[in-house]
This record gives sequence, structure tokens and C-alpha cells, in this order.
Amino acid sequence: MKNTKSQKIRLGLFVIVGTMLFVTGVYFIGQRQNMFKKTFKINAYFQNVNGLQKGNNVRYSGINIGTVSGIEMINDSTIKVSMNIEEKIITHIKKDAIATIGSDGLVGNMILSIVPGKGSAPVISNGDTIESYSKIGADDILSTLSVSSENAAILMSDLLKITTSMIEGKGTLGLLLNDTLMAKDMRQSVVNLKKISRGVITTIDELNEMITSLKKNQETVLGVLLNDSISGKKMKTIIGNLETSSEEIETIMANIDAVIDDINSSNGTFNYIVKDTALVNSLKSTLHNINEGTDKFNQNMEALKHNFLTRRYFRKLERKERKEAKK
Amino acid sequence: MFGINKIKPRIDDFLVEIGALSYFSGRFFREVFKRPFEFKELLRQCFNMGNRSLLLVGITGFIIGLVLTLQTRPTLQEFGAVSWMPSMVGISIVREIGPMITALVCAGRIGSGIGAELGSMRVTEQIDAMEVSGTNPFKYLVVTRVLAITLMLPLLVVVGDAVALYGSYLVEHLKGDVSFNLYFNQVFDSLEFGDIIPATVKSFFFGFAIGIVGCFKGYYCNKGTEGVGKAANSAVVFTSLLLFVIDFIAVFVADIFYEL
Amino acid sequence: MMVQHNISAKKEGIETQTIVLEIKDLYKSFGDNHVLNGFNMKLHQGENLVIMGKSGSGKSVMIKCLVGLMEADRGSISVMQNDITTLNQEALDILRADIGFLFQGSALYDSMTVRENLEFPLRRHTKKFDGAIDTETLIVEALENVGLVDAIDLMPSELSGGMKRRIALARTLILRPKIILYDEPTSGLDPITAKEIIILMQDIQKKYNTSSLIITHDVDCARVISDRMILLIDGVDYAVGTFKELSALKDPKVRAFFKQ
Repeated sequence: MKNTKSQKIRLGLFVIVGTMLFVTGVYFIGQRQNMFKKTFKINAYFQNVNGLQKGNNVRYSGINIGTVSGIEMINDSTIKVSMNIEEKIITHIKKDAIATIGSDGLVGNMILSIVPGKGSAPVISNGDTIESYSKIGADDILSTLSVSSENAAILMSDLLKITTSMIEGKGTLGLLLNDTLMAKDMRQSVVNLKKISRGVITTIDELNEMITSLKKNQETVLGVLLNDSISGKKMKTIIGNLETSSEEIETIMANIDAVIDDINSSNGTFNYIVKDTALVNSLKSTLHNINEGTDKFNQNMEALKHNFLTRRYFRKLERKERKEAKK
Repeated sequence: MFGINKIKPRIDDFLVEIGALSYFSGRFFREVFKRPFEFKELLRQCFNMGNRSLLLVGITGFIIGLVLTLQTRPTLQEFGAVSWMPSMVGISIVREIGPMITALVCAGRIGSGIGAELGSMRVTEQIDAMEVSGTNPFKYLVVTRVLAITLMLPLLVVVGDAVALYGSYLVEHLKGDVSFNLYFNQVFDSLEFGDIIPATVKSFFFGFAIGIVGCFKGYYCNKGTEGVGKAANSAVVFTSLLLFVIDFIAVFVADIFYEL
Repeated sequence: MMVQHNISAKKEGIETQTIVLEIKDLYKSFGDNHVLNGFNMKLHQGENLVIMGKSGSGKSVMIKCLVGLMEADRGSISVMQNDITTLNQEALDILRADIGFLFQGSALYDSMTVRENLEFPLRRHTKKFDGAIDTETLIVEALENVGLVDAIDLMPSELSGGMKRRIALARTLILRPKIILYDEPTSGLDPITAKEIIILMQDIQKKYNTSSLIITHDVDCARVISDRMILLIDGVDYAVGTFKELSALKDPKVRAFFKQ
């Protein structure tokens, strides 16, 4: 009947342990924090968090190093994301690291990944704020790019048309050259080609301009990305290629011009061509050159298409085309 | 006609039982707030029901966690979703399996215990003796027991949950080389208040059901040793049934509150 | 068919004593089973009244109605000038402190030691002694009366039937009741132990000058202890008188009792 002392103690112990288990369970669920580990806190500011939630993982070079501990609206366009990071990882994160938001596999959980910076900056400390690279920011950059790359796209499709018609036209060259209408067309195409190459040049100029401005303004995020990442380098080579190919096109253009002029000034075009083998040869080689040049240009454009910065734009274009095709 | 005649008394019996149990519960609520409080007896019963069930609840919980993980593993592996194991096991244990298994085990141990104890006390006139001694036996025997199991069961459920999760972790650790931290990180990542709060509230009701049915069956036990056995047996059967009914209602209500 | 054998004038002086317990016209039935059909009884101060009857004749029901463990259908029961049927719980509890009840199967609390069993009635009836007397001395004194002081820390399961009965008697005595109700005090005991219990009952009566109501179907017990007897047959007080007077009756129903 009497409650012995040891019974009381054991009951008390059970009640305390049980309650504590419950409370800790509730605590961990409530906090959804990085349990069992010492953490420190860093922040990043975003314009858009794309559905990131409290408790989502934070990754650094693909390793889970912590969780998002808070998402807070600072003003109408800035969101402060704070995260708890494992303390042992602290020595690896530099102050110039960049935070980006992405999704984690099929399941679609959002993750916050931290991309390493140049590595020369000092190590981050508790409470620091790191740069962010928001998807909305990328969109902005792309929209400025799109103005110039739009020209490149039109030009590319035009070139494709011309080259195919020229390649096919080889067999019907006699017909083509006999017919003045065709010759007119040809001239028109050449004029187009000229325009195109000019367009290419302006595009390249614009791209160059943009890249130099980015180079100068190294603090901007894109600048860093372009300067330091592999993709940035690729971008540069692409632009370099574009330049050379457009120069080639320019010379081709001049050649074609001369040929057409010759054709026009003579009376019997066909005879002339047949007689003047040199001209025929030169025409042939010119066409070949055009082919080559446009091929290269195509390659470059393709490369540009796959570049991560401009990829989105080309996709959009494709979609638009499909839509129009449907209509 | 013949069938109805056979069934009708059974239905009547059942309704009488439900009615009597309701009265009994009503009496519990009337007496639980009335002085004098049998605090010492309450503590003793808490110890009896809480501490003495710990081992049983722990072992069952551990095995359930182990088995659940082992059984689910191949299926999840097929989908390449073994990494979801902690979340799945965590949610199913905390939400449903933990409270239910603990309650059923306690219905077996405590419910039948109460039924048999009070039944034999009734049969040997100990309850009468108490009443004659000026102690309200309802207060001394029923209120303390029902209160004790109502308070202890949620704690037992928490312990059962914890042990079950540990059992599940062990399997994951041995088979999938999952660390303790990762496992419990994932478990707690997947859990929400919507999982743990209804489960805890449910446990209180489970405890109450175990206590009140056990006491009811024992308190109104028929004379003779056969009555005692019957009281203990029907306490377990009726409690188990009631547990599922309560579980259904609890899930239903929790669903309305947390899903909308 | 019903014959009332009211044999007057029994022991010298008893009639002049005050009546401590009186039942008038008591009716009690369980469904169709009419157990008591107008039972009457009087118990005088200092008297040993034996009520004899067959098993199931309603002796236990009658005695339970006396202390309010059962409610009579009809009739009045007055204990020391208090009508039991109209008392509230609190007054009933106070009154019960003056009535000792020795249950048929001893009704010791299985889960408590002998000491705790004896302490139990003191929990609520401390007023009776104004807290002036130490419970320990009361317990020891009660155990000395039954000669079992050594058993103070034993559990009831460790005691023999006779010892249990004595402890139960000690528990009954601990509140110094004015009236003691014995429900089959010798049932389930061997003749020698039964005799010991009867002697004990007599000793106690002498020592504390209590009035006793003894229910039994044991003729030997009745012969030894009774001042007066009532035969409970067919739910009524069929015959009243001393043992000698009743055993001399020719009525076949009465004869049946004394044949054994």
C-alpha cells in the first residue's frame, strides 16, 4: 500500500524521461533545425526564393551542411534567408561565396546551394551575409542579352535557308544563272547576306560590349561567374568564333557581289560562265566558302544555344516558333 | 423471425452495456473532482501501470520498429526510395503504430489486470469492506486507476515511439549504413505538429478507455471465480474494440482539423 | 402455512436494554427472486443475536441492507435511532464507524500488508479518536486482541484461513464499533479454528461490551454464542427464541436446521 521511496523515485524518473522525450520531440519537430550539431548562422538576400521553405537543406558543393532556419520578407523585393550551417564546415566557406536556390531531384524539394567564390576572400564568420544569385536576376541579364541575340537568331535562320538553297541550287546552277529573275533573287539573297553579316557584327559588338562591361564591373555576380567559371570562358571563345566567322562571311559576300556584277554586265550569262572557267571555279569556291562559313556560324550559334546564360532565350524562341507553326 | 429473436437480446445486452458504461464514466467525472483525493493510491497505480509496463512497451515497440523497417525495405528499395525510410517509418510510428500498439499492449496488461483485480475484490467483498470502512471504493479504486492509466499511457506511447524509432534506426544502420544523426534528422524533418499532437491527444483517450472499461468490468463483476475471469477477458476484448473505434474517430477528427 | 413462533422472554435483563438495531418489514427482490418478504428483527444492547437460514435465504442481503451496501425495496432499518435509508453519504459513513462488519471470506485487501489492512479503516475515521491515539498503538492493540501481532508485516496471501479471519476481526475491531455484524464467521474453517474464532468473538464481546448480530448456518456456532436466535425462512423471521427453545420446536422447517 505504501509507496516505497524507490517506487516514487522510479515513477518520477519515468515521468521525467517520458515528458522530456515528448518535449524534445516536439522541440525538434517545431524547430526543424539541424539537431545534434553545433551550428552558426549566415544570411543571404534574395529577390525570389522559388518556394524555398524553412527546414530545407543547405548544400555546399553538393554536401548537406545545414538547413534554412528562416525566411523573412525585408521589403517588397528583398527576402532575407537565414541558414544554420554546421560549425565544422565554417573554414571552407569564404566571404565571397554565392548562394543560389535550386531544386533537389525529382521530388522537387527546394535546396539552397552555396557556390564557392574565388577562394582568396577571408573565411566567413557567424552572422555574415553572403552574395546571392537569384533566378530573377539571371532573367534580367538574359533579357538584356536577348535584344542582341534576337538578331543573331534571325540571321541564323536566314543563313540556313540561303545555304540550303545554294547547296540544292548546285544542280540547277545553269537554270539559276540563265534566269534573270533568279539572278535577281540571288542578288537579293546576297543583299540579305550582307545585312546578316552586319547584324552578326553588331550582335558581336553588343555581346563584346556587354562582356567588357561585365569584366570591368567585377563585383556583379554575373561578372564573377563569367570571369571565373568555365562557362564564362566558353562564352568568350564562342564570341571569338562568331567574330572570325562573320569576317569570313564578309569576304564571301564581297566575292559573291563581284561575281553577280560580272554576270549582270555580260549578255549571255550562260555562255559567259561556260567560257570563263576561271569564273566558274571562283564561283564554285565562293559557294563552298559560304557553305563553310555558315556551317561555322551555325556551330557557333549552336554553342551559344547551349550556353547556360542564353539557353533559356533560345528555348523561348523555339516555343514561339512551334506556336506559330501550329497557327 | 427466428434470427431476429436470437439477435435482439444480444443487441439489448450490448445497448445496456453501453448505457451502463456511460453512467460509469459519468460517475467517474463527477467523482474525480470531488474531495478527498486519493493521491497516494494514484501514485501507486501510476507506478504500477507506468513503470511496470515499461519493459513490455519497450520490447514491443522495439520489435515493431525493427519489423516495420525490415518489411518495408525491399519495397522501398525497388523504387529506389530507401532514403525515405526514416520519414515513412517515423510518420507511421508516431501517428498510428506507436499509440495503437502501446494501447493494445496496455489493454492486455493493464485492462485485464484492472478487470481481474477489481473483479476479485468485488467477489471477495473487499469493495464492500472498503465502503463499510468509510472509504468510497469508487474513488479509491476506480478514479485512481482510470486517472493513472490516462496519465501514464501518453508517456508510455512516447517511450514506445522512441524505442520503435531506435529499432528502425538499427536496421537502417546495419543494412543501409545510415548514421544516427541522419536518421533522426530525417525523422524529425518529416514530422510535423500535425503528426504528434493528435497522436498524443489520442493516447489520453486510449488510456481513459483502457482504465474505464477495465474498472467497469471489474466493478460490476459477477459472483464467483468464473465472473472474475469473464471480467478480465471481456475487459480486454471490449477495450481493444473501443480502442479501434476511438482511433477511427481521432483520425477522422484530426483529418478535419489538419487537412482543411 | 406460515407459522410464527414468537417465544417470549428470553434472557434475564435483555428486554430492558435499549434497542440498537431494528428492522421492520424489510422487502428485497432481485428480479423475480423475492429474497426478503417482510423481515423483522430487533437487536438489543449487549446481545448476541444469531440469524440462521439456508444458503440463499437472504441472510447476507439483509445484513448488507443494514449497513447500506444494498438498498431495500421496502421497509425501515434503524441503527441507533438513525434511519439508514434516509441518511446521506456523509452521515452514513459516520454511522458506519460504529458498526463493525466481518465479511464472509474475511475480505482482506490482497494488495496490502496486514498493517495496511488495519490502517485502512482509520484513514477516514480519524475523527473518532480525535487524532489523540497513535495509529500504530491501535493496530498493535487490535492485533493483540486476536493474538497475531507477529503477522503485522505479512501479506494476506501468506496467511492461513483462520489467521485471515482473525486479522479481519482485528480490522473490524480497530474502530471500536458498538455493533458488530458477523457474516458467516466460521464458514470455510475447520471445526477447531472455528471454535477459536467463536471464543475470540466472545472475548471481544466481553471486553468491549458490543452488540453482535451473527449470521450463520453453523448450528454449533449458534449454540455456543447465541443469546437469542431468529430463523430466516422464506424471507421472513420464521421463528424467534433461544437456541433451546427453537431446537425443541416440532415444525418440520425448523427441525431441518437442527438435524445436522
